[in-house]
Amino acid sequence: MLAYLLKRLGVAILVALTVSLITFSMIYLSGDPAVALAGESATEEDIENIRRFYGYDRPILIQYLDWLARAVQGDFGQSHYLREPVARIIFERLPTTMWLGFLALTFALTLSVPLGVLAAIRPNSLVDRAALTIAVVGQAMPSFWFALTLMLWLGIYWRLLPITGTASWANFVMPAVALGYYVTPAVMRLTRAGMLEVLAADYIRTARAKGLRPMRVLFKHALRNAIIPVVSLAAVQFGFMLGGSIVIETIFAINGLGFLAWESIQRADLPMMQAIVLVLSVFYIVLTFLADMLNAWLDPRIRVV
Amino acid sequence: MRKGLLFGAAVLAASTWSATALAGRADDTMNWATDREVAIVDPYYNNTRELVVMGHLGWDALLFRNLDSGEFEPLLATSWTWVDNVTMDLVLREGVVFHDGSDFGAEDVAYTINHVSNPDSGVLTTSNVSWMKQAETLGPYKVRIHLHKPFPAALAYLSNAVFVVPEGHYDGAPTAADGKKDYGAVAPVGSGPYRFVESRPGEYVLWEKNESYFDGSPKGKPAIGNIRFRTIKEMNTQIAELLTGGLDWIWDVPKDQAERLSDMGSVTVENAKTMRVSYIAFDVDGDSGQTFFTDKRVRAAVAHAIDREALTRNMVGPASVVIHSACHPDQFACTQDVPRWDYDPDRAKQLLAEAGHADGFEFDIYAYRQREYTEAVIGDLAKVGIKAKLTYMQYRALRDLVWKGETPINHMTWGSSSIPDVSAITSHFFSGGRDDPAKDPEVVAWLAEGDTSTDPEARKAAYKKALTRISGELYWLPMFTYAKYYAFSMDLDFTPTSDEIPRFYAAKWK
Amino acid sequence: MEKAATIVSLPVLEPSPGALLRRRVFGHAGLLIGCTVLSVIILIALFAPWIAPHDPFDQVLDRKLIPPVWSESAKATWIHPLGTDHFGRDYLSRLIWGARISLVIGFSAMLISGVIGTVLGVLAGFFGGRVDMVANFLITTRLSMPVVLVAIAVVSLVGSSLTVVIWVLGLLIWDRFAVVMRSATMQVRNLDFVAAAQALGCSTSRIVFTEILPNVANHLIVVATVEMAHAILLEAALSFLGLGVQPPEPSWGLMISEAKGLMFFDGWLIVIPGTALFALVLAINLLGDGVRDVTAPDGT
Repeated sequence: MLAYLLKRLGVAILVALTVSLITFSMIYLSGDPAVALAGESATEEDIENIRRFYGYDRPILIQYLDWLARAVQGDFGQSHYLREPVARIIFERLPTTMWLGFLALTFALTLSVPLGVLAAIRPNSLVDRAALTIAVVGQAMPSFWFALTLMLWLGIYWRLLPITGTASWANFVMPAVALGYYVTPAVMRLTRAGMLEVLAADYIRTARAKGLRPMRVLFKHALRNAIIPVVSLAAVQFGFMLGGSIVIETIFAINGLGFLAWESIQRADLPMMQAIVLVLSVFYIVLTFLADMLNAWLDPRIRVV
Repeated sequence: MRKGLLFGAAVLAASTWSATALAGRADDTMNWATDREVAIVDPYYNNTRELVVMGHLGWDALLFRNLDSGEFEPLLATSWTWVDNVTMDLVLREGVVFHDGSDFGAEDVAYTINHVSNPDSGVLTTSNVSWMKQAETLGPYKVRIHLHKPFPAALAYLSNAVFVVPEGHYDGAPTAADGKKDYGAVAPVGSGPYRFVESRPGEYVLWEKNESYFDGSPKGKPAIGNIRFRTIKEMNTQIAELLTGGLDWIWDVPKDQAERLSDMGSVTVENAKTMRVSYIAFDVDGDSGQTFFTDKRVRAAVAHAIDREALTRNMVGPASVVIHSACHPDQFACTQDVPRWDYDPDRAKQLLAEAGHADGFEFDIYAYRQREYTEAVIGDLAKVGIKAKLTYMQYRALRDLVWKGETPINHMTWGSSSIPDVSAITSHFFSGGRDDPAKDPEVVAWLAEGDTSTDPEARKAAYKKALTRISGELYWLPMFTYAKYYAFSMDLDFTPTSDEIPRFYAAKWK
Repeated sequence: MEKAATIVSLPVLEPSPGALLRRRVFGHAGLLIGCTVLSVIILIALFAPWIAPHDPFDQVLDRKLIPPVWSESAKATWIHPLGTDHFGRDYLSRLIWGARISLVIGFSAMLISGVIGTVLGVLAGFFGGRVDMVANFLITTRLSMPVVLVAIAVVSLVGSSLTVVIWVLGLLIWDRFAVVMRSATMQVRNLDFVAAAQALGCSTSRIVFTEILPNVANHLIVVATVEMAHAILLEAALSFLGLGVQPPEPSWGLMISEAKGLMFFDGWLIVIPGTALFALVLAINLLGDGVRDVTAPDGT
């Protein structure tokens, strides 16, 4: 187990390093950050000053190593635009996005797991078809359209929910639904497939044959086993949602990491962009690492690989 | 249509429903929003339009420009005299108090000017302050400003871009990780009609009424208790909040939405002029590798092909006008008495044929702002057989390309920092620098003459020569002035102005 | 169903695998609907120049925003059955031409990602060991970078165009291909006929092309449909942020995002292209699901 753990850890670190290199070079090679910083009415002289001021005149490799060495110590430098330490800003906004991601995931799971289970109990029934419809429809509508439609009906016509802000849980309902809906299909399919497989397994038949109550069989034995892959999928989807919340945060004016990322891209705030991509990637890497460990712990066969 | 009616009904119903009336007249807080995030609340270290607006809320300049008369009036300075071409003396107002309680005087003005005009201070829009060399106190309420060289637009800049901060304001600035002073992080202190309360970047900036604002200010005493700026990226969301009472004021509403909002009748919608102009710059020298536009006949064909009147009428708004010279008609010395290129697609086709492009050609057009305007231009060009391929990018990236001369045609805009003087646009673009598509030495000389001469008539004459050449040779095709749609609550007594600087300090509840 | 059961129960007349497949296909409503809708959209795209009543680029600003014929407005006219957009261009013609662009984006991005992912996945699955490790590393690296964020960053910095969008999406969504092809290849590789081919001294490339690929093709098709739909929706999201296909080219994603400004007022503007995109993505998904159901050995 330890050898497996160390090996996975090594891979995870290597992946993180590669991601950092890719993001750094990708963002840097694309344009002149000094021009962006100087703003619309700047002269050539202003831009030259800014270039020197921020060290953009140094070789790129030096800039990368310098940045990486600091990043490892949790120092992502100063935001060019916000003029505050990048790390502080990110960790200021991370909770909002985490909370949104958590609510979205909760919504997705409460909708999709029961539907997936029901669909598996009665394959090809009306419930199965309804669940399938929800899954397929969910994949076929651009998220911004869905989000704006929610806003139009729930916010303006019926006035059930506040449109923007983060003051209370009510503010998060629309964004969480809009974000979580897109995770629903994957979770539902996996739950359905897992349940179908487990229900066909010998030990469930045995349990049934022994005369255990059907509900008990279903929840105590079947779901518990079927849910394991769903948990690791949920962990992965959570990571995806943090990255995918750009559109939703933009629409609902939620001041989280997605919104920060979009703003930073637009104003070429290099240190911020680099840090956000890196933080989200590392977050994902950690989640998958944990999911791997969980699976290995639950299923000893994996450890050998 | 049915949906539109339903929508109208919902909004009417809304006016009686108060649970989301978080703001507005009920709690004496005016909420306004744009799509920008405001992190730095300092007009020198944040050069966005939002800070130009908030600059006039929180700070006072030395002079005040009366938009109706075009004259300069006393604000923090009560009188001013030119000692010579490069020296100005100002007498200051007594009895003014900063938000932190300190008294205003000559030391504060000298400190402000000496700080911002110093290149090491890193003021973002250096052109706003770099014309000043230094300032010295001549008495407790008398100050002298030294200029580098004659600068005719000095009063315009003093009233619009030089805001006074208390002496020592930036001294306590924290040192950033790179070892430089972080002046933008200093808590905002001014003497203006509103006092800064708090802000959260990406969410809001809150101001409250300055109860002790001095009597007799041309800005008047503030009426509304609190003014809160909010960042809301998406226009649909801004409109939704405006309709449900979460916001009281928005602008930059696209024409179609503005008209429909206006039809609904539940909010006030107005269209007002701005100092921003739209222009098309040609690659006159052929640096981009697509050499079509080195031929003046082709440039003329483009000019004749674009129906600028239809564009302003259908897309920009009633306050927009077509322009013929490379400046805004409201700017000093901006004559429209220059060669004109009227809409004439047949003439355009004829010119193309003469230039050997009877079958048309394909080229790249670049733009960064209001994509739909550029799209309309592309549609017009297509009708005379010219296929324009749009690359729409962010300002900084496009400006980079423009400087490298890689754009055959760029369709861009310029707001002149609301400075009502031709030097803020024509001289910026045609003085031979990186932005200059033609680098015509005669134009450069005429502009230099206009920029430094102190005789207004001599300036006008020099600028006219330059503007005539620019339009006559079609280095630029000047397009139209921008107009902005404002939409605001029926409760709000607000008058849009022509310079894109909303005077919230003069707004009232009805 | 009962009919099928009787036929199967006949001992001698065991149906051929092909016949079984045909029966499954025609008994699968989703697959049929998906196929039909997709074929119609493809035909519309192919014959756009002949079907479209107007030039999709012909702008007449003075006739902008004419509502569609079913609205009660007096401006509605059969000359523009679906109305006109904010430039006075015929909406039906743009919708028809837009089918082309949306399909091209979906198909090209899927093709690029398919080639990358399949090569990587098959190599990893076939050779295992070090190759597998490298492939796994690449997949994990790719997965750890948030797609939307990276796509937006790259497109906004490079400047967007049809080509850029296709390449960026193609280079970003190959992970599922790689993952699925890797495990599918591993399974097939361990089957007897591959070992037999190796024993006969067949070259590796021959084995891959004649033995492995045909046997994992059904997985490939399923992933391909998922990723094609994925690419089309991602383009819509990019268009929402102004980074998708550049106008005046009419992609459905772009039409939706152009219409979003008026969606509170003129709902039809967004509903028309939205429905089209919805139908396309739905059809592709149904097709993919159908293929999986039909080719899966146990039919579940």
